[in-house]
Amino acid sequence: MTTNGEPVNLPGERRHEGLRNFPPVEDWDHHVEYDAKAHPRKVPHTYSLIPTICFNCESSCGLLAYVDHEDLSIKKFEGNPAHPGSRGRNCAKGPATINQVHDPERILHPLKRVGERGSGRFERVSWEDALADIATRIRAAIVDNRRDEVMYHVGRPGEDGFAERVLQAWGIDGHNSHTNVCSSGGRSGYTHWMGYDRPSPDYAHAKTILLLSSHLETGHYFNPHAQRIMEAKQNGAKVVVLDLRLSNTASHADLWISPWPGSEGAIFLAVASYLLRTRAIDRDFLKRWVNWEVYLRRLHPDAEPDFEVFLERLTEDYAHYTFEFAAQEAHVPVAQIEELARLVVQAGTSLATHTWRSAAAGNLGGWQIARSLFFLNVLTGSVGTVGGTHPNGWEKFIAHFPDMPEPNDSWSEMLWPIEYPLTTNEMSILLPHLLKDGRGKLEVYFSRVYNPLWVNPDGFTWIDVLKDAAKIGLHVALTPTWSESATFADYVLPMGHASERHDTMSFETHASKWLAFRQPVTRVAMEQRGIAYRDSRDTNPGEVWEENEFWFALSWQIDPDGSLGIRRYFESKDRPGEMMTQDEYYETLFAHSVPGLPEAAEQQGLTPLAYMRKYGVFEIAKDVYRLDERPLTEAELEGAVADENGVLRKPVTLDSAPPLVGEAGAVGIVHADGSKTAGWLSPSRKLELYSTTLADWGWPEHATPGYVESHVSARRIDRANDEFVLMPNFRLPTLIHTRSGNAKYLNEISNTHPLWFNHGDADALGVATGDLVRVTTEIGHFVARAWATEAIRPGVVGLSHHMGRWMQEGHPGSRWVMGKVDLDRSDDGIWRLRYVDGIKPFPSEDPDSERIYWDDPGVHQNLTFPVQPDPVSGMHCWHQKVRIEKAHEGDRYGDVEVDVNKSRAVYRRWLSMTRPGPGPDGQRRPEFMMRHVTPKRSAYRMASASRPGEGQ
Amino acid sequence: MQYGFAIDQRTCIGCHACTVACKTEHEVPLGQFRTWVKYVDSGSFPDTTRSFGVMRCNHCTDAPCVKICPTQALFKRDDGIVDFDSERCIGCKSCMQACPYDAIYIDADTHTAAKCNMCAHRVDEGLEPACVVVCPTHSIWVGDLEDPESGIAKLVATNETAVRTPEQNTGPNVFYLGADRAVLDPLAAPVDDTYLWAKPDAQRLAIAGDVDRDPTTGARTTLNTAHPRPWEWKVVTYLWTKGIGAGALAVALLAHLMGIGLGPVGDYVAPALGLFGAATTGALLVWDLKRPERFLYIFLKSNWTSWLVLGAYVLTVFSGGAILWMLAAALDLGAAMTALAWLGLPVSALMAAYTAFLFGQAEGRDLWQSPLLFWHLLVQAVMVGSGALAIAGLVADLSDAAWEMLAVAFVLSTAGHLLVLAVEYGGRHASRQAAVAAHIVTGGRYARLFWLAAVLPAALAAALGALTWAGLPVGLLAVAGLVVQPALIAYESVFVRAGQDPPLS
Repeated sequence: MTTNGEPVNLPGERRHEGLRNFPPVEDWDHHVEYDAKAHPRKVPHTYSLIPTICFNCESSCGLLAYVDHEDLSIKKFEGNPAHPGSRGRNCAKGPATINQVHDPERILHPLKRVGERGSGRFERVSWEDALADIATRIRAAIVDNRRDEVMYHVGRPGEDGFAERVLQAWGIDGHNSHTNVCSSGGRSGYTHWMGYDRPSPDYAHAKTILLLSSHLETGHYFNPHAQRIMEAKQNGAKVVVLDLRLSNTASHADLWISPWPGSEGAIFLAVASYLLRTRAIDRDFLKRWVNWEVYLRRLHPDAEPDFEVFLERLTEDYAHYTFEFAAQEAHVPVAQIEELARLVVQAGTSLATHTWRSAAAGNLGGWQIARSLFFLNVLTGSVGTVGGTHPNGWEKFIAHFPDMPEPNDSWSEMLWPIEYPLTTNEMSILLPHLLKDGRGKLEVYFSRVYNPLWVNPDGFTWIDVLKDAAKIGLHVALTPTWSESATFADYVLPMGHASERHDTMSFETHASKWLAFRQPVTRVAMEQRGIAYRDSRDTNPGEVWEENEFWFALSWQIDPDGSLGIRRYFESKDRPGEMMTQDEYYETLFAHSVPGLPEAAEQQGLTPLAYMRKYGVFEIAKDVYRLDERPLTEAELEGAVADENGVLRKPVTLDSAPPLVGEAGAVGIVHADGSKTAGWLSPSRKLELYSTTLADWGWPEHATPGYVESHVSARRIDRANDEFVLMPNFRLPTLIHTRSGNAKYLNEISNTHPLWFNHGDADALGVATGDLVRVTTEIGHFVARAWATEAIRPGVVGLSHHMGRWMQEGHPGSRWVMGKVDLDRSDDGIWRLRYVDGIKPFPSEDPDSERIYWDDPGVHQNLTFPVQPDPVSGMHCWHQKVRIEKAHEGDRYGDVEVDVNKSRAVYRRWLSMTRPGPGPDGQRRPEFMMRHVTPKRSAYRMASASRPGEGQ
Repeated sequence: MQYGFAIDQRTCIGCHACTVACKTEHEVPLGQFRTWVKYVDSGSFPDTTRSFGVMRCNHCTDAPCVKICPTQALFKRDDGIVDFDSERCIGCKSCMQACPYDAIYIDADTHTAAKCNMCAHRVDEGLEPACVVVCPTHSIWVGDLEDPESGIAKLVATNETAVRTPEQNTGPNVFYLGADRAVLDPLAAPVDDTYLWAKPDAQRLAIAGDVDRDPTTGARTTLNTAHPRPWEWKVVTYLWTKGIGAGALAVALLAHLMGIGLGPVGDYVAPALGLFGAATTGALLVWDLKRPERFLYIFLKSNWTSWLVLGAYVLTVFSGGAILWMLAAALDLGAAMTALAWLGLPVSALMAAYTAFLFGQAEGRDLWQSPLLFWHLLVQAVMVGSGALAIAGLVADLSDAAWEMLAVAFVLSTAGHLLVLAVEYGGRHASRQAAVAAHIVTGGRYARLFWLAAVLPAALAAALGALTWAGLPVGLLAVAGLVVQPALIAYESVFVRAGQDPPLS
């Protein structure tokens, strides 16, 4: 307990050996530190230590910015010991934030295109002029009820809830994510179990940790997760890693299995079959929480509705998934799968499993891999337990502003096309194809800290569309740094880095729930010291504006007189007619929407906002376990009636909007024993072993966890014809997609892009390390440099996914990472990209730019990938079937050639694999599935289509 | 008190957070590292493994960098931290030769030596080093190793630990838990063509062919940092200029004491060569400093354990002696010349061979640690010095006795040089590192230069000199004297480079 004015307990604070890891909180507004470079001469500097959160991956680890009192410059970033997830520690990308802040290549002023789109020429423009232009177009779209023509396309958002509220206030259906090039395969697998779309393993207390991802060194949350995985390992936990290549994580595994891509599900099902066969299962848990009655009813209608009968039938149904079957599919020894089964059994209810992208993002049917993985948790009752796997929703908290706009009732077919009613997230990879289909057009397209033409498959088709003003009226790139996509924008507007913006974020790092606060640290330091400013443009480098203020100003401009009903959501409550400040926004948010924060702040004699400014984070709940068993509150039960399946529901209308996840009105479940608990967010509020959703929306054969043969299964790869599976999406510890190219200290560690080849495969092809090879996909080819290694399985080649950055001659770019290219398109749709120059030293205010010693910009492989959306999850299936040969005469490193006509054909072929909606009740999409900006229930129904163009 | 690190490689995930936190704390220029993570891959699929090693200064109990630093820019604090003061550093790079761990670099901004100093500016304020704070898995421990109650001391006491290259006897204070030997031993895992996601530097690639790979594990370094050779042609040349100056004067002094008149060759050419040698040596040394404007710090901030300092005094005394010798000769002060000769001989010997003591302090360069190096430098000096005097003798009117004396000195010293080479490279080597370096010289990529440009001409010259000794024309000795000059430069270039080639990390 804390007493008035005393600092709170900091989970990351450490004190031993007479040394402490952070200065005491009392000193944070005047911490004296001696100049490291002048040492041993004592040159003191006084700093304000302002908490913020990292903006490089989604972990949102805590940072402390050291703001010098003398000149208000930011000296460095360390961790924030107050942060329960990161506990004062960081990965390399945290401290490297300082490179991004001081990057001489960053964009400092609003820019407007000169000449035609993609000319690469820009001129400075005032924020006011840019706002006026953009707002006019958006207003027109809203007024004309073209509510699907404004699109906000976000990469990793790095914030929760703010942009959604803005979009909701505009009344548009325009939230587009990057998620179906990321995690929607995995999400789909979890969604159909429990509604919640992601796992949150309680690593620290696990006995066995089963990873499909390289969670010790890459990906989301690796810093908070690695801390806890290693703690568990030190305490005796066993780590199993399934990965095609030897990741750092695999190197720490007690058991590393390197299966044929896409066969992972077979392995898990074989283990599940073993668990059932040997009854190494948690009967009580299964009986209470799995919808076994539905399983029997649907699959064994003649069977007696009895749990023991269910277990028998289930065991029989999975009997064919033998170890031998799995070993054969996976091309791994049977002994490895037996060992996995042994470790799973050994874990009891402390089995922590995790997949994020990896196999679930690589393969056709990858979502079933995630579903099969979680099956192991369900069978062993290690769901929501100590050391088990939790749903992310228990451990993530989104603070919603109390004054929320009314949900809209429009539906964008360019985000949620009817062919993909079960897609977990927006069909973002298809956007250019849907636009080419003529399904609609965009008046205004925001690419927000997002590089769509680079990161998505089929980037040349993106370029075709981005250049077409008839399809995209205005493209606004909101970005702190140059990207390939930004050079095709009409406006390039500089947004802030981790230390230059306000956001709240929360992530499921462990069995706790916390909310973290990103802050424009210089501005906070100025405020502390009584220095006046207008808005973040006065406190950030150049004219960099924090996004929140930009959205407020833009919304205001869209509805200057308030007649559209938009302005009021951005208006100060205390000063009617004036725009809300960020302080006012967060004062209200923290005072009303964060349980426990006002009380904790009061104990310290602080306002909720002052508390968050001081500590940067608040822990809302800890030791979060088994919330499915949480008894419902009076308020939740009030007016709720159980339906025929025991789901407690409050009355809803077509004007109700579902929550982020779950069905509108559903609050919990009545059990057979009469207890009423929260349950899960699935339609049945149970764990759905048999998903009625999948069955009723056209996929009955996939209603239970099952094995889907991948598009790159061993049977579909002709090794005799030099065909391979290309794994193009593995990550490195120090880089983040195209977001980290502006961090010199990260680039200098990772700066080559070899194509990983198993030695045997390389020998068979007559290829040695350093040789150029031509890698041919279905729509084109690229030329890469081989690396013969023992760190990848035979039959698979790997190319990390962060590199291959380019800029055209005379175009702006980031010279730390981009090579210069010639870009050429023939009239019949053949695109060619060829490097004319690698990365080279360049003069700038940072002497280090002249010391660049790397030259390899990498290979932009994504350009050669056609869209391969899984017909169920919508996930782009990253693995590519490729043919590899020695480079042809005239081929040069980094060459890319693609025929966009072929990419259209592949798009149509994958489209033909879908089973279009609508589903039951004429719905476009099951209501319980997660959507960022959920419209009213009416919008989900085809019948409510009120505009031409909908429901085609 | 002895601060140290314990690095738990059992939990290290190779994420490079320590590397970057250190770089931002100290604003370390691109391409330079105070700490970094080395990767080694071993075995073959599916039994491939990867090991990590966090590399940095070992804050040695008996720190060779502190001993060799001429200006006390590197120093050991009472708490055991090996710290440095960039304001005292002249950029001589000798510390980089002394350090057996590749821990020191010359900062590209300040042009002075820098390395991990355990964030002494933070430790002074009671704060942990930046790398300790940032590490996600808390794999880096810091603390007082001499306090048995400290966490780090207990950790080290209760676990199996290893240190890097213990055979250097420097008393390293970075202890590794669960580290793969292939990571800690710089010779155990040669680079295999490329790194995982970066390019190896040319030197590491070149050395890979000279190091034996473990036949069972095939261990290969898959990530590391570049450590280019600190000393190049200037040091090579200085070994020659110093030798020729010291050798020429020493032969003249010896002749005087033996009562053999070398005439103007002994009176003027020899001391002039001595002065030339000393001056060019001094000039090369200053030129090779990264902060040449601070060269006087050698005298003003002297560290008396450093042979760089003592050597500078030797150079100075030698130069003064050469001038006095010339004066005494000009004034025909025979007694003074005799006195000077007695005093001058040991000074000349030191001038020629003090580098052996300096190289002896270069604990990171095992090839240079030979006990024979002192004698080797002496005979090399006499070889090139007498050879130079023989050339000069062609234009002076030397007596037969003088020629004979020069021939004998030349032949014996050249033979001595060849003999030392035979012993040095033909015999057993004190360490694996020295063996690798010697192999590069005799059978590796310097073999052509070594055999054809250094050994063969020297042998030829010895034979020519012997012919003069046997009575054939003195011109042969002069030719031989000419031949040994480039031969010695060739050898020194091989010796200096090979000594620095084996990786230390």
